[in-house]
Amino acid sequence: MAAPTATAALNASVFAPGDQMLLTVTYSDADTKPLTVTIVVTDAQGNSSAPVKVTAVIDPLTVTVTDNSGRTWTRVSDNGSVAVYRSVA
Amino acid sequence: MARVTVQVRDAAGNTATATADYSLGQPVLGGYYLSGGADPTADMAGGNFRSLTQYRSFADGYIFPGYNRPWLVSLGKAGVQMNMVLELKHYGAPNSGQQSFAVDGTSYTVPAPTMTIQQRPGATWPKAYGYGQVLKGQCDGLFARALSQYRTLGFGVNIQLASELDTDHEFGTTEDGKAYTWAESDARAVQAMTYILTWFKARTLPAGTTFSVGLGGFDRACFQRTHPESLMSRLDYLQWNAYGTNASHTALARFRRTKDWAVADLGPVALSRPVIIAEWGVRSAEIPDQAAWIATVPAAIAQLNAERGPRIVRTNYFNSGWGTLTPKAVGLAALREAYAKRPYV
Repeated sequence: MAAPTATAALNASVFAPGDQMLLTVTYSDADTKPLTVTIVVTDAQGNSSAPVKVTAVIDPLTVTVTDNSGRTWTRVSDNGSVAVYRSVA
Repeated sequence: MARVTVQVRDAAGNTATATADYSLGQPVLGGYYLSGGADPTADMAGGNFRSLTQYRSFADGYIFPGYNRPWLVSLGKAGVQMNMVLELKHYGAPNSGQQSFAVDGTSYTVPAPTMTIQQRPGATWPKAYGYGQVLKGQCDGLFARALSQYRTLGFGVNIQLASELDTDHEFGTTEDGKAYTWAESDARAVQAMTYILTWFKARTLPAGTTFSVGLGGFDRACFQRTHPESLMSRLDYLQWNAYGTNASHTALARFRRTKDWAVADLGPVALSRPVIIAEWGVRSAEIPDQAAWIATVPAAIAQLNAERGPRIVRTNYFNSGWGTLTPKAVGLAALREAYAKRPYV
């Protein structure tokens, strides 16, 4: 099983007290695959239901953010490969 | 230095870790200067004033703390950050001739200043110790005297060499009867400043000593000429002054002007240095409501510091000349209010 990769970047290196800080996390894993399962039910007479789609992720990733100064980072967005977190300086 | 750590974990427990370091800038220091180098203690009392500009001539026998200025020691020991502007400019009589004195047992004789600066047509041109005199070592005694006094002060200061090189050179300079253009004067000043910095840095300095060179910052080409990387590597701060002198002048535009030039024109060493605004002010003749203009300064500084480029770390209001607060009480109240807000707190 492949290991994930991650990078973390802040929107600045020095912040004034009270400034908004934005952290961009870029992450991936070669094994992580989104997939869609499509289900169609067909009876003995050959009548089929409308297809129903279900999505799933193989080997999903969890992202954890910690801060040694005790600041709380709140997730603003996450599209599965790029997540943005926000905190206050 | 704070560090944020990101861990990404997959279903099998494999992890990847990434970190990003950051630091919090200290609040900008709100500062002051009172006309005539007078005791500013009463004006600063009770307000968030944490920085002070002072002017001394190397010709003066009393540079640190200055003649009859015990209050400077009190303020410095109370944590007010001092920006000591030390000038080759001679402030005038008495003692405009040769000086002989002893420093820590060594005798020095320093010849009379042989350069003129600020050669504005129709004005009396002030004298200054010449850049050539400095390079010949003729002014070493002045530096030795200043350093000896500085060592007894009890705290470190920023030494700003020259008040405004652009003002000094704008109309050219003359040394030993030879005239130099503005650009030539800038180049000679860079050599002389380098000499002075090398002289001081070869000796034991009080902890916390930093250096800068002084510019009004009103001329882009001069600002670039006087900030070569070789000089900036010896300096700890950038510096310029900012004044509102026209009804159309906003605080943001006035503080921004020189910063934009610096970001566009200077090298990485220069841009790594924080900025001291040794003087800022608003002239009441054109902008009668000084308080309203002063009230816009905190947001302007915060905005500039949020943008890329060097951070402004001290801003000292110049309550004299162009910046004279009229009426003083109203202006002082506005300053106190401004310095009580971000980014000053």
